[in-house]
Formats: sequence, C-alpha cells, structure tokens
Amino acid sequence: MHRSLKLPSIAQLPANLSLSPGLRIVAFCLLLVLLNPPPLLISVGPEETVQTTHPIVGVHTRLTDEVEEWKIQRSLQMVRQMGASWIVEFFPWAYYQGENREIDWRHPDMVMRHASAQGLRVIARIGLTPKWARPADTPLNYLDETAFADFAAFSASFVDRYQGQLDYIVVGNEPNLSFEWGYRTTGPETYVDLLKIVYPAVKQANPEITVLAGALAPTLEAPGSQWGLNDLLYLQGIYEAGGGSFFDALAVHSYGLTFPPTAAPGPEILNFRRVELLRQIMIENGDDDKKIFITEMGWNDHPRWTRAVRPGQRINYTLEALRFVEDKWEYVETAAIWVLRYPAPTKSYMDYYTMITPEFIEKPIYQEVKKYTGN
Amino acid sequence: MSDHLGLRRLVMLSICFLLLTACGSDESSWETIQKRGTLRVGMDPTFPPFELADGGEPSGLDVDIANAIAQQLGLRAEFVLVSYDGLYDVLATGKADLLLSAMVVSPERTRDFAYSESYFNAGELLITTRELPLTVELSDLAGQTIAVELGSQGHVELIEWAAREDLVILPLNSSDEAVASVSDGAAEAAVVDAVSGRLAMRKHPTLQIGVVPVNVEPYAAVVRIDDSLLLRQLNEQLALLRDSGKLAEIIAYWLDEEVH
Repeated sequence: MHRSLKLPSIAQLPANLSLSPGLRIVAFCLLLVLLNPPPLLISVGPEETVQTTHPIVGVHTRLTDEVEEWKIQRSLQMVRQMGASWIVEFFPWAYYQGENREIDWRHPDMVMRHASAQGLRVIARIGLTPKWARPADTPLNYLDETAFADFAAFSASFVDRYQGQLDYIVVGNEPNLSFEWGYRTTGPETYVDLLKIVYPAVKQANPEITVLAGALAPTLEAPGSQWGLNDLLYLQGIYEAGGGSFFDALAVHSYGLTFPPTAAPGPEILNFRRVELLRQIMIENGDDDKKIFITEMGWNDHPRWTRAVRPGQRINYTLEALRFVEDKWEYVETAAIWVLRYPAPTKSYMDYYTMITPEFIEKPIYQEVKKYTGN
Repeated sequence: MSDHLGLRRLVMLSICFLLLTACGSDESSWETIQKRGTLRVGMDPTFPPFELADGGEPSGLDVDIANAIAQQLGLRAEFVLVSYDGLYDVLATGKADLLLSAMVVSPERTRDFAYSESYFNAGELLITTRELPLTVELSDLAGQTIAVELGSQGHVELIEWAAREDLVILPLNSSDEAVASVSDGAAEAAVVDAVSGRLAMRKHPTLQIGVVPVNVEPYAAVVRIDDSLLLRQLNEQLALLRDSGKLAEIIAYWLDEEVH
C-alpha cells in the first residue's frame, strides 16, 4: 500500500505560529552551527628540502602572533621557495607558560612541525617573561635575577621538546638595551649571570644544542646611559665578566641604514660591517673558533623615512651584503634578513622591512633573493 | 628588531616623564588645553616633507597644519618630538594632546584612539598624459605599459593587479624615472605614491594626476578615544582649513613648489 505524507499547505498553517524563547535560542544556535564552515584541514605534507645555491641565506619570520595554521604553513613554504635554509623565530615564554606553570605547546608545536616539514633550520629566540615571573606592573620583557632559574627551566623544556628539530637557541634579545630588560638598568654582568644559569640547563636537556649569546643591538650608547650600552663595549664586558664559557656562538644584528653594505666600519658608525668589529673583540678574547650568526639584517625602503633607502637600493644592498658575507666572513654561519612578513600591517616604516605582504604578495625583494638562491 | 638607533631615548624619556607627572584629573583634555593655552602635538620629525627637525624647530606640512589649527583655536602649538615607535605611547600617557605626524588611519587601534577626518591621501595614484581622461583607472589600461619604481608599494600593487588583468609592468629605478617614462611615451601611465607623484609633477607639467586613486592611505590626526570634544574641535578646524582653501595652500606649498 502506498502511503503518502500529507503536509499542511501554507494556508493551513496557523497565522500566529511562534516558538517559545527557549526554542528560538536553540533554533538560532542550530542555525549558527549549520552555517559555520568546517575548520580548514591543514596537512603538514611531505618532507621538503630547501633548494639553494647560497645556503647562508636565512630570514627572520614573525609567526609569534600568527594564529591561523595555514598562514604559518604558507609563510614557511615561501621561506623554502625563496631558497632560505634558515629561519629565526621568536618563541615568547610569556605566551606559553601560564599561572599554573603548565606549558601550552600548541603554537610552538605548530611552528616547529611546519618548519621541519619545509626542511628549514630553526634558530629559536626565547624571551618575554610571564606575569607570574615578574613583579606587578612591569612590562612583558622585564626579567630580573629572581626569574632566571624559571627562564632557564623553560628554555631547557623547549630545547628538550624539540630535540631533532631544533639545533640553535638565542638567549634573550638585544641584551645591551635596557628596553629588552623591561627598562631595568643592567650591564653585561647581569647577562652573563643569566647565561650561567641557562647554558648548563639547556645543555643538559640537549648536549648538541648550540647556544647563541646576544643578539646584540647596534648602538652607540655610552657607558652610564640608562638606555643601553654600545654593543662593542657590551661584548667586551661579557668576556670580562667570564661569559665566554657560557655560549657557543654569537648572534648579532646588522643593519645597513643608509650605508651600502661595503661601507667601512668604525666604532662610531652604525652600518652593516660593524660585525667585523664584534668579530675582532671575539678574537682578542680567544674566541676566534666561535661562529657568528646574523639573526637580523637588512635595509628599509620606506619612501620618506630618513633612515631608509630606495627600494631598488634595498634589493641591491641586500644581495651585495649576502655576497659579501659569503666571500669575506667565513666565520658567519647564516645571515637572516629582517623580516619575511608581518601578520598585519603596522602602518609605519616597519612595513617596509618586509619581503612579502600580509596577504602573501611577493615583493620584488623576495623575488630577487629567490633568483639569487637559484630558484 | 627594536629601535636601537637613538631616538628610543626620546620616547622613553617622554613616557617616564609622564608616568612621574601624570595626574588623574577628570577634566577633559579640551578644557585642559584651553586653560594651558597650548596644543601639544606629538610628532616624529624624520619624515620630510611632512615633518623634519634638522637640529632645530620642526618644519613641514604637518607642522603648518598644526600651527594653523592652533591659531584658529586661539592656541599655540607645542611640538613633542618622539620616534615613530613612541608616538602612540606619548599620546596614551598624556604627554601629547594629539598626534599629527603623517599617521595612517589604523582600524586596529580604534579601541584606544580616534582619528580625525583625513587631511591627505598618501596612497598610490596614476599619472598619465592629458590625452587620457582625468577619471582614468587602472582597469581602463588593460594591455598597456605601466611604469613604477622597482620594489615600491606601487610595484606591489601592480604585481597584485597583473595577476588578474593583462598589464605590462615597467619597473624603473625611481618614481621620477617612472613619471618621466610617461612623458617620453615609454609608458601609458605611472603608479607612484601621492607625495612622490606630486613632487615629480613639478618637472612634468604636461602630465596629469588621475582623480581616482589606485589605493587610499589616509593621513589623519589622532587623539585618545575618550577625547571626543577635542576630536570634534579638530574636525571642525580641519573643515575650516579645507573650506577656506588654506589646507590646499599648505599642501601645495610643501609638495608643489620648487623651493622645498
């Protein structure tokens, strides 16, 4: 027997048909669930290898504030496609270890997983102090002696977790600036005290890890300045405070400003070849066997910033600088360009340090470096 | 990357000063400004022709606008000079009443700050010969050669555009060369930023700037989000400047005249 379902016609529906408020909320939520697209399924993909004729080339990524996995993956794919073998990435302690001391590894796991898949060597910079590890009303980068052991413990956990994926770690950032200590006035001795605690801790976690000191900020600040200390004096201070035994290599930042990369260095000049002066101090202190890692370098091409160059100059200077490093500085392991991309525009001259836009559009400098590496 | 090039000290000094001196008065900023008689304008003086302080008092397009606004309000402009990184900080901490420093409207910051009406669009624009209509747009130039400064923001725009449209990009070494190539007939149009374009036009009076911008990068004054009275005053004064022709006069002085 054929049975048909008889539905009421529109005309037969009661005119005052309505749902109770509770049912309306349920219906609304159901509608939202139905409308919500499924999450993007990100597959890490096969293991890739960087193809490059210049393995020294690296780039500083900025994935710290990038929350969408596909953007992290895309960024790292573009690093590989550019022919850069190295990335420098910032891993903020404050973001990962909360009040309960539990470490939320999800974000760093994601970054490390995709970096490994793209065949990239990672230099991890650890910094920023969680609220629980610093006094009230202090900025995120405030770090004092009472938190050194906690910082070391986190760094050791980080190194331990990524054994096999991570071979380099930078302790802090630009320690010769008071800003990087949360405006605490410190000296090289304080930084050496930190190295003395962090170095053995991370070595215990992974004896193969290379610990980089620095990265020193190029600055001419005189002794006694509350803002920082000249990087040359600071490095000498590290040695005098006995820090030489507590790092395996030195990280430096090298910006050309308006100077070409081959411009001669001088103690009173901030330019690209300031690296040579730092190297000389290392030699004078018997550290000539240690390598230098340039973890930030580059030029800015903002149209009107007084410390910028023209975009074409930026491209030429960057390529010249990479050639110069390879030809002249056998002690430099990598030269990482600042910066691949920001998650969002900063609406300032800082945007003109990037190589690709937040929308992943390749800037000509990206394309030229890509050509330079044979890609 | 951090600003370790010396100007940071100005920022930090300003912040420290304010932290030491800031008071929690309920009085509105506008009332305070009126009593004080000065309008404190935060500015990064490294950005000619908008603002530059070469060892002395700042000068530039923004400086003239600030002075004009202050004058209309019966006030005197006082300039608080900081590096770009510190501009929003000196405003947030009350060291400055407003920022007038080629600030691009940034929607991400509107929780804490409010922007005035824009007084200048610094985005990219099209320069063409006068044979084309003033209303010409990139979409009208399919298949044509467009000159641009290699690596510039305009170049990035064209790369993005060329992914969708048929376009021949002619990258050159400078905005000047890009504009000159239109004069020479090597390119149908040039895409340059508004400032470079206007500066380059001095040498090429036979060319024209299209009225339809390629993109918009609005410069505006910035105040703290709670300073609605001050914001209203600024907008009223900017409107006055615009309506009286004074704003165009200031812009022309800094961008169109050979003396600068």
